[in-house]
Amino acid sequence: MIILFVASGIVKAQESDDNKLNISGELISDERFLFKDKNDWAWNENRLTLKFDKRITGNSKFYSEVWIRNIGLPCIYATSDLYNKGIIDPYNMEIREANINIYGFITKNLDLKIGRQLIAWGTADKINPTGNLNPLDMEDVLDFGRHRGSDAIVANYYFKSDFSLQGVYIPFFQPANLPAGIFANALNPTMELPDGMTLLGFSDTIQMPRYNLSESFTAGLRFKGFFKGVDFSLSYIRGYDGLPLTTRNTFIPVDLSGGVNIKSQLSFMRTHIVGADFATDIAGIGLWGELALFIPDENVIMTNDLSSLYPLSPVPVTIDSIIIDKPYIKFIIGGDYNFRDGSYLNLQYLHGFFHEKGAESLNDYFFLRYEKSIFNQKLKLAPVSGALIVTDWKNIKDSYTVAYLPQITYTATPDVELTLSAAIFDGKGDNLFANMKDYDMFMFRMKYSF
Amino acid sequence: MKTIIQRILFIQLVFAVSILSARTQDANTVLKKMDEVMFSPKDMTGKMKVVMIDNNDKQEIREASLQQKGSDMRIFRFTSPASQAGIAVLSLPDDIMYLYLPAYGRERRIASSAKNQNFAGTDFSYDDMESKSFSEKFTPELINSGNNAFILELKPKSPSDYSRIVVSVNKTEYYPELMEYYDRGNNKVKIAKYSFKKIGKYWNSSEVEMTNLKTNRRTKMLMSDISYDTGLTDDDFTVRKLKQ
Repeated sequence: MIILFVASGIVKAQESDDNKLNISGELISDERFLFKDKNDWAWNENRLTLKFDKRITGNSKFYSEVWIRNIGLPCIYATSDLYNKGIIDPYNMEIREANINIYGFITKNLDLKIGRQLIAWGTADKINPTGNLNPLDMEDVLDFGRHRGSDAIVANYYFKSDFSLQGVYIPFFQPANLPAGIFANALNPTMELPDGMTLLGFSDTIQMPRYNLSESFTAGLRFKGFFKGVDFSLSYIRGYDGLPLTTRNTFIPVDLSGGVNIKSQLSFMRTHIVGADFATDIAGIGLWGELALFIPDENVIMTNDLSSLYPLSPVPVTIDSIIIDKPYIKFIIGGDYNFRDGSYLNLQYLHGFFHEKGAESLNDYFFLRYEKSIFNQKLKLAPVSGALIVTDWKNIKDSYTVAYLPQITYTATPDVELTLSAAIFDGKGDNLFANMKDYDMFMFRMKYSF
Repeated sequence: MKTIIQRILFIQLVFAVSILSARTQDANTVLKKMDEVMFSPKDMTGKMKVVMIDNNDKQEIREASLQQKGSDMRIFRFTSPASQAGIAVLSLPDDIMYLYLPAYGRERRIASSAKNQNFAGTDFSYDDMESKSFSEKFTPELINSGNNAFILELKPKSPSDYSRIVVSVNKTEYYPELMEYYDRGNNKVKIAKYSFKKIGKYWNSSEVEMTNLKTNRRTKMLMSDISYDTGLTDDDFTVRKLKQ
């Protein structure tokens, strides 16, 4: 479809310069190596991003973004794998966005966007607790806040220049995709088993929502305004949390020495999300904040079924743990400032990362980035960049993580950027970054824009 | 005797003040006329080519489209190089600015301290680019009234990077020909040379060349495809338009 559209666009492009199909994009090479283990390769991604942009009429536009990627390393275990080009040279293609925009639809105050699209809600920098419409794309956990496009209808009605109402309808649910490569286990919580029990095998099944109009949809409404120098918005979402929760673990004994297999069942939490955000400027300092209240439809309870371990018990032996039994709030506040010497400071405090759910499970994150451009902005240095994570304020020394992410970017030509960076993790406790402390790495990235 | 001396001193003071006042009055008139030349169109649409030249004469070119209404509404959208194409800045009254980054598909309110930085990596500061009238920002004094140009010294009314600006104003058409910028230590730091062309009934600064005397870098801004008074409205300077 897209190729046909592109081809027809190229032909029509000759007719009018204003309505011609514009093709732009980027070539990105992203290579990461571990500091330890003889510098094992941690990440290999070569991405060709193609962006198609075409004004159809004076008030309508087509836009699409496609990723064609070679990602990962060859995983070859047998000669038969050598016959498979997809294994030798892993690649994939992803349509990130493909949509039509109609400005002034029916009435001059209404804009309509139909098709696969990213719907960016929130005012914070990259991490948006109120932005819960698109599924999370957690493939690269170091690329915070990346989402996949959703097939959606979005209508924006502008009352006056300062106020607007946005309605979003996403007909079917798409779950988040989990981290890839060496990050695959970063989100897995540590599993604690009773004394004497050893985990020998694990499998799970996920219960997806039924694909019909009443169960699988996500819908949202956002009122946006500007008053006395403050941008603000109030939002509401009826949808699913894109990361599944375990609702049942069935323990199956395998041997007499305490070895067990666990079969888990997972499902997605249906939820209401009420959000609010603001952005303003006070004395040259940019300030922003977001808050999202998650109200699950029902309590989430995890049942551990131990019946197989007690075959003589006349009743099923189960232990229930409450995962979520009340609404919970995630929020972020932040600010930034541009100094006269050309340097830039950005600070954010976040309560509750993307994957954290339930009031008791939300951790505190402090993000800091200081950058300075030198040599006529050819070289951008971010010597102080990273995060501090605290999981238990009563026992900080055993429950903190520091992520240090320094970066140097050199603009070799106006369209070529070379970036050297590192990711160094240290700390204790159970959180996303602590789980990555064995994966300190240095990274090289080349970006060519065309 | 004492009274006579006091009277003479008083008369001299009144005379001095009158002269100063007359010169300031003249300076104000000249500056207002310059403002009229520079800011009289109701709105403006055009293309801008920015040529940055380093001290080895190596050039880097950026292109953008520009829409402006009055003195405090502007949308500036980069069209090249590819790495910056689509990035747009909306400037509104009261230092309210939004940045649109196509990669994120959203607008972002930017801190007004961004005005501390050079505009888009050029030798122009955001202050230099601001289209607020000079009369609003500066108190003028007439230093010289030569054959072809008035020489004014402009002192900022509010805190600024500059202690003063010396400007040569064309005596016939009242457009600026040269501006010399002095930092807070009274060192000459930048020189801007203007070339004006008449488009319709308005004089247009078709080329401005800013030389940074500290770095020896130059930035040329060349305007083309200029249209004036096309009927732009406030609705053309909104976040909705910024994202289109």
